[in-house]
Amino acid sequence: MKTKILVPLAAVGVALLAGCATDAHYVQTGGRENVVTVSGINIQDYIQAASASVTKLLAAGALDRVQNPPAVLAMSRIINNTGQQIDTDLLTKKIRVALLQSGKAVTTTTFGLGGQAEDPLAKGIQQEQEFTSDQKTTRTPDFSLSGKIIETVARAGDTRQSTYSFQLSLTDKQGLAVWEDEEEITKQGSRASVGF
Amino acid sequence: MKNMKHLVVCAAGALALAVTGCGTPVNSVENAQKEGQRNMVADQRVISDPGLNRHVNIVGVNTAMTPGGLLSVQVELQNNSRSQHRFNYQFEWFDANGMQVSSIISAVTPAQIEGKESKFVSSIAPTPGCKDFRLKLIDAD
Repeated sequence: MKTKILVPLAAVGVALLAGCATDAHYVQTGGRENVVTVSGINIQDYIQAASASVTKLLAAGALDRVQNPPAVLAMSRIINNTGQQIDTDLLTKKIRVALLQSGKAVTTTTFGLGGQAEDPLAKGIQQEQEFTSDQKTTRTPDFSLSGKIIETVARAGDTRQSTYSFQLSLTDKQGLAVWEDEEEITKQGSRASVGF
Repeated sequence: MKNMKHLVVCAAGALALAVTGCGTPVNSVENAQKEGQRNMVADQRVISDPGLNRHVNIVGVNTAMTPGGLLSVQVELQNNSRSQHRFNYQFEWFDANGMQVSSIISAVTPAQIEGKESKFVSSIAPTPGCKDFRLKLIDAD
């Protein structure tokens, strides 16, 4: 009698334990099963910030106001004002890809901050072509994209809260910020979790 | 007996606190004579989660074209309950051939809606070639 009760109970216990264990598996990047931490910028935060910014930039139509579309975009500095070491390309590359896909803008890889080209080989080829053809092929960027990522932390008892502000500015040739955006992502909790 | 009464009163108090804590219905006011006219579109719905549908009910869908030739869509949602609810939404975009166009714009976005609140979620087509869309709503609570 005792065995009849104990065996199913043990089976249920094993099943529960197996259910709680997390064997390595693939999850969709930016999906509901991604780990959420309060004290750091997660991949889904970059995705959400980039998504919201691109949506607003395309809706604003700022990139449409150029003489020769598509607009040429140069990447400027994205300042990291958080306590973490982050690669700002996690934000900017997503924006660049979406803008290129939209057909509204192309990003130059030969025109960089302080004369530093993102792709030195491409710059070399461009200079070589200009030298041999005796014609200027470089198109001056119509806009530059700059920004800042800021972290604001608050705490109440065991509950921690972090707000990450993703600020972006699109500046035209006259030095005017013709489009600006700020996306804020706030996370709260006492420990990391899985899911939104 | 007295202790029992105290217990019941305390329990009722705690319950009332819990109910008021979760229930955050929204009062609102807007101009009665509308200047803007929404271009409402006929929609097709698939409701797999009736519970979510009560908290995040789709009121209507309207679209507009941006000056740059991109289709933009706005969906009005209504929380028919008195409690706040968290959900995720995702817009998917399709070209003229019905093929899905993957883009960062189709990211899963977390959102929350207060009790009795009406809220809009919107998106813009990632390319001028996108003609159709689909909004997915997923419960997060």
